[in-house]
Amino acid sequence: MTTEEIRAPASHATMADLRVPRERESTLGQRIYRYRFVYLMLVPTFALLLTFNYYPAFMGLYRAFFQWDIGLQPEFLGLGNFEKLFIRDDVFIKSLRHVSLLTSWRVISAVTFPFIVAELIFNLRSHVHKYTYRVLTILPAVVPGIVNLLLWQFIYDGTHGLLNAFLESVGLGDWQQPWLGSPKTALYAVTFMGFPWVGGVTVLIYLAGLQGISDEVIDSSLVDGCSGLRRLFAIDIPLILGQFKLIIVLAVIGGLQGWVAVFVMTAGGPGTASMVPGLWMYNNAFLWNKMGYASAIGMFLFVLIMGLTILNVKFVKTGEY
Amino acid sequence: MTVLEGQPQPIQRMTMGDSWRRAWRTGDWWRHLGLLGFLFFMFLPFIITIIISFKDIPQFDHFPFTVTFPLHPENYSDAWRIVSRYIYNSLIASGTSVAGMVVLAAIAAWAFARYPFPGREIFFFGVLALLMVPGELTLIPAFLLVKDLGLLNTRWVLIAPYIAGGQVFAIFILRQFFEALPGEMFEAARIDGANELQVFRHIGIPLSQSILGVVAIMHVLSTWNDVIWPLVTLRSDELMTLTIGLYAFRTAWYTIWGPLMAGYVIASIPLIILFAFTSRLFVEGLSSGAIKM
Repeated sequence: MTTEEIRAPASHATMADLRVPRERESTLGQRIYRYRFVYLMLVPTFALLLTFNYYPAFMGLYRAFFQWDIGLQPEFLGLGNFEKLFIRDDVFIKSLRHVSLLTSWRVISAVTFPFIVAELIFNLRSHVHKYTYRVLTILPAVVPGIVNLLLWQFIYDGTHGLLNAFLESVGLGDWQQPWLGSPKTALYAVTFMGFPWVGGVTVLIYLAGLQGISDEVIDSSLVDGCSGLRRLFAIDIPLILGQFKLIIVLAVIGGLQGWVAVFVMTAGGPGTASMVPGLWMYNNAFLWNKMGYASAIGMFLFVLIMGLTILNVKFVKTGEY
Repeated sequence: MTVLEGQPQPIQRMTMGDSWRRAWRTGDWWRHLGLLGFLFFMFLPFIITIIISFKDIPQFDHFPFTVTFPLHPENYSDAWRIVSRYIYNSLIASGTSVAGMVVLAAIAAWAFARYPFPGREIFFFGVLALLMVPGELTLIPAFLLVKDLGLLNTRWVLIAPYIAGGQVFAIFILRQFFEALPGEMFEAARIDGANELQVFRHIGIPLSQSILGVVAIMHVLSTWNDVIWPLVTLRSDELMTLTIGLYAFRTAWYTIWGPLMAGYVIASIPLIILFAFTSRLFVEGLSSGAIKM
């Protein structure tokens, strides 16, 4: 192919606009032929996506309607898996309650504590201090997630744990218990781990929003005598609703997908005291080889995540100014 | 110290002490107090981890959370013997897949951004739609797929799906960035006789280094921290990545806290090194761009 051929379509937007009439004249086949090298550029990407993403996704949706045990011929069940899931599977129903607690707390903690920290950093006068605090708050995000989970497992440990040692030292020795090993506390221990819930990128996303508020808005609000808490509620929060929305979506998705943490900390136990749907899917698939039933749980999670995301994007309105 | 904000700054000749004193006068002190409180609790588990990593068993039994002497640095060599192989495996999986992913994603994003070929938006939607598909839906069929392909318990079982899955988000980000690059520059290069490949390699890529860096770092973070995929696809200890290796290590060395905690510290070091070299990219990329919905 010559340079001449390619120059026209690939150029700057205004250039491309000028060429539009000429492009209309050529047939679809000709245009496809002219861009044949572009399709070649996309081949490796789509080969991988079709194999490792599209095929499994459609297979997952399809096999959710089958009884599909490893080594046996799949047998079509219609909605049988879902009927069993919602009517006869008590553990699954219980796991739904657990995951709503986990996810609710995730959302609540993600819109409060990191926002407070972001406001504190944003209002500092020294830029050096601002930058230092930003680096320090992001630092925990680079500690591998598994290390964090194993550390919290140690904090909750019944005999050597930090939490029990702390209770003992402040005279609340009676409250000591194996936090992850007792059915009464396991779920709450998993839910509230991560205190003080501010590490990672959430703070930075809020900060980005606050820095995006134009100086004129803040200055004129100061002139009008609006400062402190009043400014927080009248200006800062409405103007960064976009960031809040993103964080809420991320927290909801993170909560529904956060079963890996439960798997590492308690494996859903003791018994099924801290079971969540994702982990129930894992158990069905990889412990008991019930692939079809597990696919039905996977499909349920997919629909739930998608639905909640759409609801959130649609109904939590972003303020414009 | 670096000043990142947009407005020009007067040259700062203040020492650290001066700036603290000013912070006190201007009423910032209670903000510092609040922030330091948060930071203290945030870092407390890590500090205690480092303290415990230097203890032997009797020291831990008597004074678990305070510094005790003599220190036992040999915990680190014990832990290193076990953890080093896992770190090596994770380096291979994340390193290979990030290289492949960035190359493929950059090429595809370039195609989407700069050529108005027929079907562009449909193909792009085909990539974008995958952002909505959670891992829960694909986990089981993907596992059976790699089993049928005979990839179970090889290095490829991590690398190939990581490249495939990582592309989705990267193409999304890179396309936006490539589209915003000024077209005149590419036009000028073409007039000077550069072909399409040269324009991409010698102008497009150098202009996009920072965004390529951000995409690469995010991919390394997510693959490095992946637990479930390696857990279900890898069986032999020689191939285990850091996440599942540490999990096995904890189960085997439970209650021998010194070496265990030393292992946690060692496991954190590679990413901390990465962060030390790229923190500017990281912090700026996340806090300057308008990330919102």
